[in-house]
Amino acid sequence: MRHKKKSIAIAMATLALVVSACGNSNNNNSAASDAAPSGSSSSSASAAPADPFGKYADPVTLSVGQQVDPSDTTLPAGDTPDSNQYTRYIKDNLNIDVKDAFTASPTNYNQKVSLSISSNDLPDAMIVNAQQFREMSDNGQLEDLTDAFNQYASPELKRVLADSNKRAMDTVTVDGKIMALPQAEDAGVHEMWIRQDWLDKLGLQPPKTVDDLEKVADAFVNQDPDGNGKKDTIGIAAPDSSDASKLYANFLESANNLYGFDPVFAAFDAYPGYWVKDANGNPVYGSTTPETKQALGKLAEMYSKGLIDQQISVRQDSGEPVISGQTGIFFAPWWMGYGPLTDAVKQNPKADWQAYALPLDASGQFKPHLSAPAGQFLVVRKGYKNPEAVVKLENLLLRDESKFDLSKGSIGFYPVRLALGPSDESEFTVKALQDVLAGTKKPEDFSDKPEYKLLAGDLANIKKVKTEPYDKMDIQYWNPNADLGAWTRLYSLMVGVSPFMDLEGNGVSSLIYSQTPTMESRWVNLQKLEDEAFLKIIVGAAPLDSFDKFVSDWKQQGGDQITSEVAEAIK
Amino acid sequence: MKTKGFAKHYYLMLLPGFAWLAVFGIFPMFGIVLAFEHFSPVKGMFGSDWVGLENFRYMFSLNDTKSIFVNTIFIAIMKIIANLVVPLVFALLLNELRIVVMKKWVQTIVYLPHFLSWVILGGIVLDLFSLDGPANQILHVFGIDAINFFGKASLFPFLAVGTDVWKEFGFNMIIYLAALTGINPALYEAAGIDGASRMRRIWHVTLPGVRTTASLLAVLALGNVLNAGFDQIFNLYNPLVYSSGDIIDTWVYRTGLLNMQYELATAVGLLKSVVGFILIGISYFAAYKWTNYRIF
Repeated sequence: MRHKKKSIAIAMATLALVVSACGNSNNNNSAASDAAPSGSSSSSASAAPADPFGKYADPVTLSVGQQVDPSDTTLPAGDTPDSNQYTRYIKDNLNIDVKDAFTASPTNYNQKVSLSISSNDLPDAMIVNAQQFREMSDNGQLEDLTDAFNQYASPELKRVLADSNKRAMDTVTVDGKIMALPQAEDAGVHEMWIRQDWLDKLGLQPPKTVDDLEKVADAFVNQDPDGNGKKDTIGIAAPDSSDASKLYANFLESANNLYGFDPVFAAFDAYPGYWVKDANGNPVYGSTTPETKQALGKLAEMYSKGLIDQQISVRQDSGEPVISGQTGIFFAPWWMGYGPLTDAVKQNPKADWQAYALPLDASGQFKPHLSAPAGQFLVVRKGYKNPEAVVKLENLLLRDESKFDLSKGSIGFYPVRLALGPSDESEFTVKALQDVLAGTKKPEDFSDKPEYKLLAGDLANIKKVKTEPYDKMDIQYWNPNADLGAWTRLYSLMVGVSPFMDLEGNGVSSLIYSQTPTMESRWVNLQKLEDEAFLKIIVGAAPLDSFDKFVSDWKQQGGDQITSEVAEAIK
Repeated sequence: MKTKGFAKHYYLMLLPGFAWLAVFGIFPMFGIVLAFEHFSPVKGMFGSDWVGLENFRYMFSLNDTKSIFVNTIFIAIMKIIANLVVPLVFALLLNELRIVVMKKWVQTIVYLPHFLSWVILGGIVLDLFSLDGPANQILHVFGIDAINFFGKASLFPFLAVGTDVWKEFGFNMIIYLAALTGINPALYEAAGIDGASRMRRIWHVTLPGVRTTASLLAVLALGNVLNAGFDQIFNLYNPLVYSSGDIIDTWVYRTGLLNMQYELATAVGLLKSVVGFILIGISYFAAYKWTNYRIF
């Protein structure tokens, strides 16, 4: 009897727990589902005149999918991703109530968006990538933004998007209709970062050609450049196991590849992962060309000599040895101050990382591949009543972005923010900085350029972190500790952007940056075939001639069909 | 005792379990229709165009399909065997240990890895076997050149099995230890009086005592022949070991979630489930036949 009572008590306790837990989650669910579809309900009547900054008479609700970085702690107490200085500013100026239909961390955001698309449970507006944009466009899930953009976009927004980034605007125009607002990408040039202090110590010059590169890497591996008496240095960093790090950027993810071999391939006139034209002017997939085979042969040779990180694709983060001072050379985009270099300099204030548009090809030129004109897209759900509200959000952002106090919530909390800027923003900024440092111009001379929104801050900060002589970029002529945030940006610009300021005409674009119908079903498998074949050749697990087998397999497993589709698509 | 009031709250306690099953087990079953459709999110799960067996036909035309099934079965079967034998041997050894404190300590320590997720353990394992990691340092002492363990396709399945056993054997051992304590001590005494040595006692008393448990676990494990462990493989593999390490679940993840080919991923997943269901059916009857154990 006693046992029975006890068991009843336990049963009740268990039930109570379960019930209360269910209750909680139900509440959450209903709150979320209230927020999601409410966009259309309150808004339809408010017909504002075509004023880019017009405030709605009645509140308009906009539910968004928002990326929220959990490590971002800039929000003051009491503020949330749903309610912060930006949402209040938007409410005050435009009378738009922004609600989060979902939030996701940067690592999960893409998956969350894909799920949202596949379940057709869409927020009113969100940021998507190229593939998702295409998918939504094919599915008919997108609202036509042509009228909203033409009538409501502010002159500045039109200048930034339609004039200066025409190529980006073309990518979102489907059958003559604007289906999204694009975020223009910078050219996505990958360059060589090298330890200048190691070069100087060993009495070497920056490697001009691939053969030089091999010699320098050999010296970095075998001549103990860090002077610790151990043979523990890595000549050239190799891609790691993360998604952001590939052998080379490809036409689908054409920018921001870390620790790949992009410039090495380009030095052989090889553009693997890109769609290029062959000698006869027909489209060909860059990974299947003889030039690529040649480049792979060279990489395999360097790997077998131990010049390339032996833990290629197995290492979890190739940034780690860069930070700890083991790596001598890596290939990456210009923004490495935001990458491993800030930590590297914290570890060793003498680690002098410099960037070069090298190695050169046989004709003495640096011909990098260029990224897709746009990488991110702001889309609006089909059927949303106030598509112009989204355009107004971006108008407001472009006009007032520099006014916000970022310590009260970083700019990432601005709802569905597109990083808007003229396509030559970094180059223009570097030129301005150089002029100001040389004394030929004053910061005030640039006050008429509001669309270069960070320029004023950059010009104000440069003399804080840069020490004389102003024309030398080595690390001893910088003072990172004065303002680490400013240093990160300015070092990236001055060191990272300068090398390719005059190069863009030389760049190679892919014929196509999106998928054709057959690719949608076949590409994962072809990509796997390629990744596996190339990596095996480089580490010597397969002979170089297995490249020919890869090419015939690739063609036979759908590559030929895809090539003809690409030819059709670019006509 | 009134049996009527007695049973009620037990059924009540079952309710949350059933609710869980309905939400996560039964309701998602309708998603199977995706395998026979050309899925379009706007038309929805039941409105998309019906394509019959097209997705399956395509699946079998892929060169990958054969290799991922072979990899999965190879890794899974090795895991099943190793996860049966290693814990049994270890339990026998532990059972012979006389110092109780020592026994408890060892038991606790070896089952700790079970509670860590593969996201964490994956990082640890990769570091242990990296070129400058402890494993290679030990090899170095014996004058063996460093091996890039996780870059070699030929080694990957064995590393996967080995690390999985290392993670789980402590926990699996508990079942055997329970079975061992269930053996009547009188049997050991009798064997001792008859002059049986330690080894003889293990052979004639201990092993027969855990035979039922061992064969039951073996039979029940059959249902897992197509589960090679997504979280483990996903955290350990890389393109260099695709040829021996890419399994059904990782392939479905890449195809379905990353490339948004939901139909194809569903078709492969469905095939896996059908084979898995048949195997579970076989294991059910086998369990009944050989060990007289019935689940229902």
